[in-house]
Formats: sequence, C-alpha cells, structure tokens
Amino acid sequence: MEKFSYIGKDVKRIDTASKATGEALFAADLALPRMLVGKILRSPHAHARIVAIDTAKAEKLPGVKAVVTAKDTCGDKWGVFKYTQDQQFLPTEKVRYVGEEVAAVAAVDEDTALEALSLIDVAYEVLPAVYTIEDALAPGAPQLHDVYPNNINVHVVIDVGDVEKGFTESYLVREDTFTAPEDSYFQGEPYAVAAQFDHAGNLEIWMPNAGPHLKAKPLSNVLKIPLNKVRVRKITIGGAFGGRSEISPADVICAFLAKKAQRPVKIVYTREENTVCTRQAHAMITKIKTGVDKEGRVVARDITCHMDGGAYSSTGPIATSVPFLCMEQAYRMENVRYNGYRILTNKPIRGMFRTHGRGFACGVDIQLDMLGEALGIDPLTMRLRNARQTGDTTPTKSYVASCGLTETIEKTGKMSRWEEKFGKLPPYHGIGIGCNSVQTGFPMGIRGGSQAFIKLNEDGGVTVITGIVDNGQGNDHMIVQIAAEELGLNPDDIQLITADTEVTPSDPGSYSMCETFIGGNAVRLAAQDVKKKLFRIVADEFGVGEEELSARNRKIFVTNDPQQSMSIAKAVRMALTRNESISGEGSYWPKVDWKREWVKNPYGQLSETFSFGTVICEVKIDPETGQVEVLEVTASQDVGYALSPKVIEGQFEGGVAMGGQGGMLTEYLQWHEGRVLTPTQLGYLVPLAIDMPKINNIIVETIDPNGPYGAKEAGMSVAMSAAQAYCGAISNALGVYFHEYPITPDKILKAIEEKKKREREG
Amino acid sequence: MKEMKKTALTLSVNNETYDMVSYPNRTLLEVLRDDLHLTGTKESCGEGVCGSCTVLVNGAPVRSCLTLAVAVQGKEITTIEGLSAGEKLHPVQEAFVNHHAIQCGFCSPGMILTAYALLAENPNPTEKEIRRAISGNVCRCTGYAKIVEAVMSLAEKGR
Amino acid sequence: MRLPPFQYLEPTNVEEALSMIGTHKETVKIMAGGTDLVNRMKLRLIEPAFVINIGKLRNMEGIDIGDTETVIGANTRLKEIAGAPLVNKRFRAIAEAAFQVASPTITNMATVGGNLLQNTRCMYYDQSGMVLNGLERCRKRGGTVCLAVKGGKRCFSVYQGDMAPALIAFDARCVLEKKGSTRTVSMIELFAGDGAAPFAFGADELLTKIIIPKPEGIYSSAYRKLRLRGSVDYPLASAAALVSVTDDKKVTTCRVVIGAAGAAPKVIDGVSCEANFEVIAQKAYELAEGVDNLQMPGAYRRKMVSVLARRATKAAIDGIKEGM
Repeated sequence: MEKFSYIGKDVKRIDTASKATGEALFAADLALPRMLVGKILRSPHAHARIVAIDTAKAEKLPGVKAVVTAKDTCGDKWGVFKYTQDQQFLPTEKVRYVGEEVAAVAAVDEDTALEALSLIDVAYEVLPAVYTIEDALAPGAPQLHDVYPNNINVHVVIDVGDVEKGFTESYLVREDTFTAPEDSYFQGEPYAVAAQFDHAGNLEIWMPNAGPHLKAKPLSNVLKIPLNKVRVRKITIGGAFGGRSEISPADVICAFLAKKAQRPVKIVYTREENTVCTRQAHAMITKIKTGVDKEGRVVARDITCHMDGGAYSSTGPIATSVPFLCMEQAYRMENVRYNGYRILTNKPIRGMFRTHGRGFACGVDIQLDMLGEALGIDPLTMRLRNARQTGDTTPTKSYVASCGLTETIEKTGKMSRWEEKFGKLPPYHGIGIGCNSVQTGFPMGIRGGSQAFIKLNEDGGVTVITGIVDNGQGNDHMIVQIAAEELGLNPDDIQLITADTEVTPSDPGSYSMCETFIGGNAVRLAAQDVKKKLFRIVADEFGVGEEELSARNRKIFVTNDPQQSMSIAKAVRMALTRNESISGEGSYWPKVDWKREWVKNPYGQLSETFSFGTVICEVKIDPETGQVEVLEVTASQDVGYALSPKVIEGQFEGGVAMGGQGGMLTEYLQWHEGRVLTPTQLGYLVPLAIDMPKINNIIVETIDPNGPYGAKEAGMSVAMSAAQAYCGAISNALGVYFHEYPITPDKILKAIEEKKKREREG
Repeated sequence: MKEMKKTALTLSVNNETYDMVSYPNRTLLEVLRDDLHLTGTKESCGEGVCGSCTVLVNGAPVRSCLTLAVAVQGKEITTIEGLSAGEKLHPVQEAFVNHHAIQCGFCSPGMILTAYALLAENPNPTEKEIRRAISGNVCRCTGYAKIVEAVMSLAEKGR
Repeated sequence: MRLPPFQYLEPTNVEEALSMIGTHKETVKIMAGGTDLVNRMKLRLIEPAFVINIGKLRNMEGIDIGDTETVIGANTRLKEIAGAPLVNKRFRAIAEAAFQVASPTITNMATVGGNLLQNTRCMYYDQSGMVLNGLERCRKRGGTVCLAVKGGKRCFSVYQGDMAPALIAFDARCVLEKKGSTRTVSMIELFAGDGAAPFAFGADELLTKIIIPKPEGIYSSAYRKLRLRGSVDYPLASAAALVSVTDDKKVTTCRVVIGAAGAAPKVIDGVSCEANFEVIAQKAYELAEGVDNLQMPGAYRRKMVSVLARRATKAAIDGIKEGM
C-alpha cells in the first residue's frame, strides 16, 4: 500500500475550477442590496497641516448618502505594535504623504461620488517635506512625528560575538554599499473593501487580506465594538505577497461610511491607489562589511541598513529585521553585527514585501562572489563553505532543526551545469548563484497559534473550520489535502469554512510563511483528534486495539486485515446513536521564544523551522543595448516535504518572475519628490510571458521533524534567491559587480563603458 | 455635462440578448460587471495593458475596459461565463485547472479567453507563439510557466 | 476608471462623418479602435463634447496592393497589416512595426490611423489627478512650465507611435478629407514637431487613407524597436530604414527614420549607405532628443536611437542581400 493517498500528490486544487469559470468572487465583485459606491479624497501634498475640512457642499449633493472625515472617528492612533501606534485612519492634524486619506463619501453611483469629492474643501498649510533617507536624517529636517526624533522610526541592533576581533583575524575584508529603490507588490487584484452593518450593529466586511483575524481586532478597537460583532468574511483574494495583513484606512473608512449611511458600501481602488495608497516595498541602502578566512569562510560581518519606511510605521520592526534574519539563517556567521534603521519620509507607507530588500539580499551574496574572486574560489564553492547546516544555531539563537541548503546548492549546481559553465562562457554571457532562507512565522504573541475545528456529518462528510487564509497560493487546498489524508476521506468529502472571523478560530495569517507549518499542523491535529475518537468506537466494535486501525478510502479498517472494515459514515452514526457528539479540535502553537522581541530582545528561537534554497541563473547580454536575455533559471528549495509538488513549483516560478525577472531587471518606482510617477501597469513593469526564461524546479525534502508531514514553507524564499542569482549572473557576464538595482539596460551600458575605459587606461 | 442622455443599448453576451438603457460613456467592462453582474471579467489596470478585462468580440480578444459598450452593439460578445457549458468546463479551462495554471485566479478569465482565441486561430502553436499571444495578459503569481504548459497540452491534442 | 460625459455619434458612411466633424470641429474626438482615445479620456487629458466612432466605416478599411502604390485604409487593424503576406513581403518594415505595437490583443482593436495620430507622451503628462494634483500645469496642458525638464522652454513630450517611422521610411502620403474637399500630404508633414500641439492638420479633417509608393529597384526595409519588456510597451527608441539599390548594387535610396526621439519622427536624409553605418548612427544621435521623461534616462534612449538606426539599416541591407 502506498504511503499517502493525497499528500505529496498533484491533486487538482479545489479552488481553481471556480476561478477558471469566473464564478469565484473577489471583493470588487460583490453586489449587496442597495450598495453604495465609496470614494476617498486624498492629500495632494506630501506634508501639510490640515487647517479645515468643509464637507457641507458634498453632503448636500443629491445621491450622496454619507461623508466621513476625522471628526467621525475618535482620532485614536493605531499601530501593529503598542510602541508604533502612530497612524490615524483619517488624520486630524496633518497629512504625511501624497495620497493619504483625508475624507470619504458614499453615494449612489461612481460619478456622484467623484463629484462629491470635488466639492469637499480642504484647507492645507503646506509644510516642508523630506523625500530621501538622507534628507530625513539631516539635522533640522522636518519631523514627521513628534515621537520619532530625527525621523528614526525603528532601530534594530543585533550584536553577536566580536565583530571587530573577527575583522582583525580575517584574511580578507571588504566593505560595499548596495542600493535599491522601492519595489511594488502589484498584486493582480487592486484593493477593494465592502462593508455593511446589520440591524444588531454587527459589521460584515470583505477585503483581500493576509489574515482576517489581524484585521478584525483593529476594526473592533476603532469602531469600539466587541470582536464578536466584527465579521471579516471569507473572500477570494488576488495575491498578497507579504502585504494586506494590516488594517487599512480603506477598511475603517468603508465601515464608517456603511454605518453612517445605514447601507452597504463598497470601495474599489484603482491600480494607482493600489500602488500608492496600500503599501510599497522599502527602498534600502545597505552597507555590508565582511571578513573571510583563506578558505572563504565568513569570520565576521557588519551590516548597516537604512530603509525608507514612508510616512508611518506599519510593520516597521518586522520589516527592519527580516532582511537580516533571512541572511543570518542562510549563512553561518559567528561574529555579526546588524544595525537596521527604518527612517520616515513623506512618502507612501512601506511594508514587508516578498523579496524583503533586493539590495540587502543581493548585497550579501554578490559580496561573497567578490571575496571569492579575490581568493580564487568560485561562487558556488563560497556558498557551500558558508552554508547553514542542520543542527546549527543562528547568531540570534534559533536552532535549525532541518536544513537542506547544501543539497540545494549541489543539485542546482549539477542541473545548471555550473562547473562546465562558470568562467568558461563567452563574453557577455554569465551565470550566477544565490542562496536564501526563510522562517516559518515568528513570535506573534496571542496571535501566534492556530486552531482548527472539524464538524462531522452523519453521512461521513466533514467541514473543517480554520482561520487559515488563502491568497491564491493554495492554502485552502492544503487544508483539504491534510484533512482528507488524516481522516481517510476523499477531498470531495471535505468542506471548508475558512478565514471568517465570526466562525473561525484565531490564526496568524498567511504572511511570514507560517500557514502550512502552524495552520496545517493545527488542521492535522484536529483531524487526528477526530480519527482518535472514531477509532475508539471502531476498536470497541471490532474488539481490537486502536493502534491496529487505519483510515483510508472512507473506511476504517484493521491494518493487517482490511476486510474487517467499517465505513466512516457508519462510525459517525455509531457515535451519535450512543448519544455522543463527535467533532475534532486541534491547535498548534509553535515552540518559539515568546520573549523574543524585534527591538527589545532580538534573540531566541524565531520560528520552529526554516526553509533554505538556491537559485542559479544564466544570462546573455546585448552589449550595444544593455538588454538582458535570461536563458535559464534553476530553482531549488528545501521545503521540508512537498505536500503538493506542482503547487510548490508554481511558487518557485512565481518567485523567479517577481524577485529575479522583475526585481532585478525592470521593477522600480520612479518619483517626483513624494509622487509616484509610475503607479500603473505601463509605468511599473512586471514580467510578461514573453520575457520569462525556462525554469527548472528542484524540490528538496529534508522532512522537518515538526512540520506537518515534514513540510516547511515554499512561497517566499525563491524570490530572494532569484534576485541574487540574476545579480550574480549579470555581474559575471560583464565582469563588473553591480551594487545598484534593478540592473536596467542603461546601468549595464554604463558599466560596460566604464570597464572599457578602465581597461584602456589600465 | 448634464446633456448626456441615456440611450437604448442592446448587447448580445454569451448568446443572450440584453436590453438596457445606458449612458454612452460607459465601457463594456462596466456594463458587463455592474449592469449584467457578469463579474468574471476583471479590472486590474483600467488602461488596456494587463488583459484582465479581456472578452471576445466576434471571437477576437479585446480590452473591454477600452471599449465603449455602445460601440459593440450588433456584435457577439463572449465573456468567461460563456465558455463553460453548464457544469462542464471547456477544455481550455480544464487544462488550466489540470496543469495548475491558476493561483489567485484574478488574471485567469482574461488569460483563458486569450488562450481560447489563440487556439481557435492557430490550433497548433509553438511555445514562442503561445508566449507572444498571452504577452498582453499580466500574471503576478505564476511566472507563466504552467499557463504555457496548459496551452501547450492543448496544442498537442490539436496535432 | 470613469469616462467623462460626451455625446456619442456613429456615422454610417464617410460623408456623414465629415459632416459631423465639420460641424463640431474642436469639440470632437475621433474614435477608431479606441485604445488611445479611451485611455486619454479616462485620465481626463481630453474631455470632448462629441465622440465620433468611425471604427465601423468599412470603406476606410483594407489593404489594396497595387503595382505602383499600395493604399491602406486608416481603419485597417494593425493585426491585419502585421499578418498580410504581401505587406510582409513588399513593405516589411511596416509589417514589423504593426507586429510590435503594444500587445497582440491591442492590435486586434487598434487601427493604423489611430496609431499614427496618437498624442505625444511624457511621464508627467500621461497621469491622472492622483499624481498631478498640487503640481503646476505643464506646457502640454496649457500651462507655462515643463515638469520634466526644469526650466524647460518648450514641451519635451515624445512621439512614440510605431507605424509612423516605418511608413515615413517608405515616403507614405496621407489622404485628408473634409466636407467638400480632399487633400494629400506627405506623412512627415502631418507632424508639427511641437510636443504641445503635435499635429498640423485641421480639426475638421479626417485621415482616411495612407498611400505607400512602391520603391524603385531592388529594396528591403526594417523596423527596430526598443522596450524593456518583450510586449505591451511603447518604444523607448525606434528606427525604420528603407534601402534600395540598382541591379549593380548601387544605393539609390537610403531613408532612415527615427522615432521616440522627440515630438515627431525624424528623417535622416542626405546619407548614403555606401558610407559606413557609423555615419547613420551618428546622424541619428545628433537628430535624436532624449530627456528624462520616459522609462529610461534620456541619455540612454538617445544612444539607443542611434544603435537602432544602424541596426535597421543593416537589416534592410541584409534583406536585399537575402533577396539577391
């Protein structure tokens, strides 16, 4: 008998048929009875005091049913952390970026709503603004918030070992600075919110989210209603990529409008609003100093990173830390110091984005290439020599329970024929490598665990109730696979109620790669709970021990004597006829150091396990135009165990597109002071089908001791390694190491010209 | 301009006739989604770049966000809802599902219709031709690899 | 995004269209495929009182290939031009240009006339209020400053149409009709070279046909376009070349036209292909304009215009060699 029926198999995802037919409803597709159109008035200034807001004319416009401004709110400041509470959803005193919410209307149609916005008079007193990290830090710079002197929002300090001693003991030391401007999430689905209150004051609200429970609490706080009156509903979500986890002003505004108008309200963002007014990725300036021994092993590393956080904290402490943590997980570095600064500027708000700082990730890796070159060691060997290993403890004291990084390096190297190619390719033809690691969640206080319930029907079907959210990556399918496998049922027998805060228990949400590990484990435990209860009944009936039973194909049977079997439906009925209610419950809280805190105590077990991976990329460059043709990419990740190989491959391929093809070649926001000049699909260039190279996927499985069936994560890391590999390949092709990203053709041309000049002079 | 008047509008969508009264400045996308509640067609950019709003007009893929509803009267419009026959998926939809070519699903209706139109015109496209044909459909999730595989699988069937 | 209000007119023949245009003049905008017009209306760059849909006028469509000249109706879809075997054979640059406009779906809708008469573009102009509110009005919007070039004394918006350079390389002519009269002009004359007012023809005139003379002797042509992605995007630099030779390989025509190099396509004339490509490249560079108002820096784009001018010319010559 095969080990698993569904786990590890490529079963059709349960949610894609309805997406293929267009039946799946996204937030903007909702039509509620008597629904109004909501629109938001936004600040045209990067920094200004709000002197007065006059909404009288707007309120009188026929068809306008509600207008809200800050005076409709309590003016409370919200923050992801208690110590970062700095954002009002409708500001009372001043605006801090172009695009910030100032007022909103709900009207019978879009034209009326837009007209109403134009009738709202806002008097501003324009203030001087800062648009760069440098300007924000300059003495005498305008301060965005009184509570953050010098516009320093967050300062993370990590200091392990003795870095200075390490440098003196190093054979070779180099220091480089790497920069990259903002990238943008650019989810397929522009943000949208629909909200309505019922007669009893219960709020029902739909929006794309990476954690409905993370949205519900702030809504409860702002609206001053208890959590059980806030229902963040399940909805099909068009991508998150690290965003959409926090409460958004649009959520709060929509709820206020619905309350005031006593009618459902829907706000649909334009593509521009999605780019500017939700979150962006941080621009970063990363200075890295690394010392290695003669064999290329890192002895000491000192990193200082300044991140442009925009106007508010958002997930500041986390965003400031994760870029470093990913690298300290991936590579051994006994002596390491990190100073991460998140700086506030009068620009849109930055959050955590999948690649988590291409400059940071590429910087660490490309520096290994540079050091290796000086030592006569090739990039792949440099990775092998510094790779994290199973059983290690990271500098910030996370034990690494399973690590297949070396295996991913070796396998990727083999498949891409690294040895044949590196150093042997024709001019303008290069190959590069990148390695990364990603955690599976982090200490999230009371929100750090997941719980699942399973309801059984008398005909043997079940409903799994869990807070796990699906942003499109396939989490709903994962729940069904796990439940079907554990319970011995078919996927068709499993119904889901997920991501609905009225019904589903708390769950950390889908960002930071924890749904499979934490949520999946909870589902598995809940299913095992059900199984145990059913097994007790069947064991009793057959007069055997519970440990002698198995469940498969809708039957519970004696493992060594399958003829002795009972249908699961019958077992359920049996419980009921014994007047026993039967259901399942499981909860999982990762064994992490709950005292670990981003700023105050950045040490301790960060997450229970980590994934690791390698990407190798091969490119060809047109030396006249600087354009890059990507020939082939090989992506490998230690995912622990592949619950659904094709689903995982899809994550790899999407990661290569986002982190590598887009992140390294074409994606960046262009600015005019605090204004985004490239908020649309024609301005911000995401990769197209015709641009993508051949992608080889190698799934490595180390069977993590704690993940469900050994699974860890697979969604985030390939984006980072792809960025590094693209950077390495282009650098290799030209014999020039790039420090500024993305590597657009003009930069390539400049590098070629400068190199030729140096060669002529040298 | 208050002088803009609503006019009678008759659209033929998925072999059904819809009579309505509408302002002339409404796009086909708005009419499909807001008036006919055919929400399978999506808006992701509003400027005709991303392909999420793709519908077929007389069999050819067009950007419904750049098409005036009044301008397509008398033409046969096909949206994603018109592709499947009741509960049975069209082979293109089936291939997308079987090959894991759908993740978040927002780009899928437009992508599927574009693929459908390609195969109707060219039943045996090469990979390069497929990639070019869908180059006007932006997908942020999949990296396009499995979308191309799905369409290739249909091309082989056509052989 | 919502469109501004307008009255919609659908003439059933060209005469009716001319009458409507003649009556309403500047308050009219013509819609053929809609891909350019609808976008600009959404951004409120234009808010015409009347939108006249000429997209269904059959006798403005079609490719009529003759011995001495070819006539392409202004309403002909770019897809048709790109795929027409005889256009590919005899006017390769024109087919290549049509093939590379935007993305395949757009070429189903877009017409050659519409592509030709598209407005000039700039990162500071093609934006909605969300970006521009609070900034001064630029010259293209009737204001007095240039937002792209500090202290700029004129408009630096860029003409990014793909079809024009290829058609002008063939010395194409345009038929402009208005109520009561018709005139034919050389296509290059349509372009005023002013970013703030790119076109030089009357508000009561309608472009109905494009006439392409068949070049003398043995010839070939090519169109080259630069963009960061392989589809969708406007050109950041472009060049079209038509080269014709006598039987004994003496160059009689070498017309290179550069695009995305200023407010209008520019012809590099007086250059013989017998000289090396470097002369053409140099001339292209001198003629090209590049400021930082599009995706890539202006200095880079200018260099690329030069590279593409050389590549297009070489491709045209290779085409002749292939044919011999």
